[in-house]
Amino acid sequence: MAEPHAPNASRAATWRRYLRFWGPRAEADVDDELRFHIEMRVRDYIAGGMTEDEARAATARRLGDLATNRAECLTITTRRERRMTRAQLIDALGQDAHFAFRTLGRQKGWTAVAILTLALGIGANTAVFSVVNSLLLHPLPYPHADRVSILFQEPTQGNQTGMTVMVSPRPELVQAWRENAHLFESIEGFAHSDMTLVPARGEAATVHAASINPSLARFTDQHPLIGRSFSDADVKDGHVALLGEGIWRSRFGSSPTVLGTPLMLDGTSYTVVGVMPSAFRLPALFQQSTDVWLPLDVHNDKIGMSAMARLRPGVNSGAAQRELDSITARLDVKKGSRIGFRTKLVPPSRMVSFRDSLLLLTGAVALVLLIACANVAHLLLARAATRQRELAIRAALGAGTGRLVRQLLTESLVLAGAGCVGGVAVGWLGLKTLIALRPSSLSNLDAAQMDTTTLLVAIGLGVVTGLLFGVVGAIQSARHSTHEALKASALSSSQSRRQHRLRGLLVVSEIALSTTLLVGASLLVRSVLRLQTMDPGFDPKGLYGVSIVLPEKSYESTAAKQSFYAELVTRARAVHGVESAMMAEGAPPSRNFLIGALQLEGEAPPKAGTTAFISYNGVQPDYFRQMGIRVLQGRTFSDTTEKSTEVMVNEGFVRKFWHGENAVGRRLRIAFNNKGDWSTIVGVVADAYTSGLTSQASDPLLYMPFHGQFQPALIVRTTAGTNAIATVRSLVPAIDRHLPSPSVTNVEDAMLESIASPRFTMLLLALFTVLALVLAAVGLYGVLAYAVAQRTREIGIRIALGATRRTIARAIIGQGAVLALCGVAIGLGGAYWATKFIASMLYGVPRGDPLSFVAGALLLFATALLACLVPMRRAVAVDPLIAMRAE
Amino acid sequence: MNESVDFLKGTLDLMILKTLSWAPTHGYGIARWIEHCTGDVLQVEEGSLYPALHKLEERGLIAAEWGISEHNRRAKFYRLTTAGKKQLLAAHDSWARFADAVFKVLRTAPASH
Repeated sequence: MAEPHAPNASRAATWRRYLRFWGPRAEADVDDELRFHIEMRVRDYIAGGMTEDEARAATARRLGDLATNRAECLTITTRRERRMTRAQLIDALGQDAHFAFRTLGRQKGWTAVAILTLALGIGANTAVFSVVNSLLLHPLPYPHADRVSILFQEPTQGNQTGMTVMVSPRPELVQAWRENAHLFESIEGFAHSDMTLVPARGEAATVHAASINPSLARFTDQHPLIGRSFSDADVKDGHVALLGEGIWRSRFGSSPTVLGTPLMLDGTSYTVVGVMPSAFRLPALFQQSTDVWLPLDVHNDKIGMSAMARLRPGVNSGAAQRELDSITARLDVKKGSRIGFRTKLVPPSRMVSFRDSLLLLTGAVALVLLIACANVAHLLLARAATRQRELAIRAALGAGTGRLVRQLLTESLVLAGAGCVGGVAVGWLGLKTLIALRPSSLSNLDAAQMDTTTLLVAIGLGVVTGLLFGVVGAIQSARHSTHEALKASALSSSQSRRQHRLRGLLVVSEIALSTTLLVGASLLVRSVLRLQTMDPGFDPKGLYGVSIVLPEKSYESTAAKQSFYAELVTRARAVHGVESAMMAEGAPPSRNFLIGALQLEGEAPPKAGTTAFISYNGVQPDYFRQMGIRVLQGRTFSDTTEKSTEVMVNEGFVRKFWHGENAVGRRLRIAFNNKGDWSTIVGVVADAYTSGLTSQASDPLLYMPFHGQFQPALIVRTTAGTNAIATVRSLVPAIDRHLPSPSVTNVEDAMLESIASPRFTMLLLALFTVLALVLAAVGLYGVLAYAVAQRTREIGIRIALGATRRTIARAIIGQGAVLALCGVAIGLGGAYWATKFIASMLYGVPRGDPLSFVAGALLLFATALLACLVPMRRAVAVDPLIAMRAE
Repeated sequence: MNESVDFLKGTLDLMILKTLSWAPTHGYGIARWIEHCTGDVLQVEEGSLYPALHKLEERGLIAAEWGISEHNRRAKFYRLTTAGKKQLLAAHDSWARFADAVFKVLRTAPASH
């Protein structure tokens, strides 16, 4: 009998376990075990009298199928070891997390500050990202939106307006594209117009109508809520309509009986055949929701068309553009057209108003998050310093460096996790606030919402920030030697200096980032203040623009239109309370019209096939007097007939083309195909912001006598307010009963509205800047407060040795001031570089505006000093007796 | 011999546990002990002993540790865990009842005629 034996030594086992740490040794173990068995058996057989060969053969028989059994052992052991490793890891993580919660819970104030800081940083980013995600990343709710572009045409050269000119394509061109382009899945043309809806009962109303191809439903992958969408047969018939979901719910009570009923629009009857959901919409550049959809009449070349297209998969936009251009060229040759245009495929996100502002705000919140990270990092550092003894003791008790670092990282991640949850809450609130505060022109902001992507981004930010500040703290702690930390005295001086340098660096970068934001915000504030107090160059008070739309059918001749306008002006002037009334092609703050092929006398005509665009407005002679625009030289129009050869220009025109020399008497013409009559400049007027306050008043502008070519406006000045305006509106149906009451713009309100978007951007940037400033101040305060706490004993000794309170105060303030100075200096440099990104958003303020830079620096210094105050007072109040007795 | 091996497979676990209840030992020790106790009537196919041992280890009924054997060789020693002790008691009882029942059937002749 073999006596069972206990292992008599296990030293060998210990080193083997070390080896196993580096990888599974299951195979070697199993083989060792079996080999041991075989050798023992052979040995016993030999002892029993067998030869070695006999013994080995007998052993093999006894063992049976060794290979199978060995394989089975291997499987079991490997499986078991893997499971054990996993269990150990989970157990360790659980321990870490539990410990992290306990530690954080013990220091509630500290934890709250850290989590709040993170929540604000992450929240600001989440809110802004929600908007970016909805507006810029998913601007259109279409399938394969990444292949969708808006199609524009751009003049090839000779743009004199100083702005980007993009022209919508002509209807026949869109039709040619639709028929001949092969690189596109689909090209959609559409046109917008405001129409008058006359219901069976109740008042007439202006509705927003869009004419579309039947294929738009397929393009957008939307199906009617009830009824059907358009078919190709509807295009020929033309008298059918689809209702938008909005108007169907508000005006028709969501009733299905609306199908088949007639809809009176601009005096024509259309049959309602279906209702389209609100997701059936056109690109965001047309911000109004569409009330009524009509089939597009492709042969009507009077309408202004827009187009969008979806590329085939894998087609590059350059090739697609060349294909459209060659189709355009063929059509132009056929038609003998000479104006050169190039097609532009513009991604829908580029058309989002507020895009530049959003990018700016994204940058700003990223800076805020960096500041928050820096703050939490030195909160962790300060705490790590006070916990050094604890960590050293744990290290001495056997916790490895890796384990300690992991412990600290877990704490950071737990913090970040909490910050993340808080951040999502802050972000949600922020987004709601943002939408509530938005100016009315930014209605597309309403579409912004938090979705899975946003949440994932928030979580990602949390993890990244957790690692970012966690690693700093962990590395710092791991560096400390157990030996030094365990010494009963305070930190060794070299260590404290190194720690202090790191914390100083963090604060300096926080201050630098805040300074950059502060300067940017100051610039925007200055810009908006300037916009608000700026002299628009005309007097918008009591001014109203009444837009007049005469249907082509009943007003085909210019004479018919002219007589209508004349009648309207005469009657409007007679209305009680109306000071003046006149017609103009555009009422402020509308965009001016563009006209091509400007040629100045004495200069070569624009080359054939090019366009020399210039902005112009057609106005009646007393326009300038009524608007309050000064005539600087010459006089206003005297000949207003269609044959008139009189024109007027603004100062900007004279400055640009004749360097401010006398312009009256000079001649120019619009030289289409090298023909056209010469007109003489009879007067020069002052620059005015008639295109809105954010436009450039000094851009060259040409005035011509009013002929009423497009959709002009009646401009009315009144002191009697809405009463007089109501009377003026009623004049239009009074003159022609087929016309609806026109829409009216309050020019003064509209001028303010034209700066609502920059003001909103400024407001948000200012908000984020204040946030950054507060965080930076908390950071600076933290560093100084910590320094004072660490040096209490030293300060006590100094006071005991005769240092005055003033010397102490000066030392503390000095320390803060040095940090602030470094930060501000770096920040100002950064700001000068960063302002190039906001240059396009500044109106009348240069990006290097010294006042903004000085204001930013001063405000930061003031905040920094404020942050120094409390630590300073604490230092001054140190009682030398108590301080020296401590420890 | 072969029949007895098949028959053994189900009871091998029980015998291993019982062997280890005396003292910890290595696989060869277990094989020798069973051989000794049964007077070579039950010859274990020794190769199959090891998968059984590893399975028992996986189930936590026995624990293993490397040590030095009586001949100064490195060997894997197994010992019974607390869970293993409980399992042995339970299995011992049920096996005894089972064996008793089988034995009763084999022993009892019909009482009629």
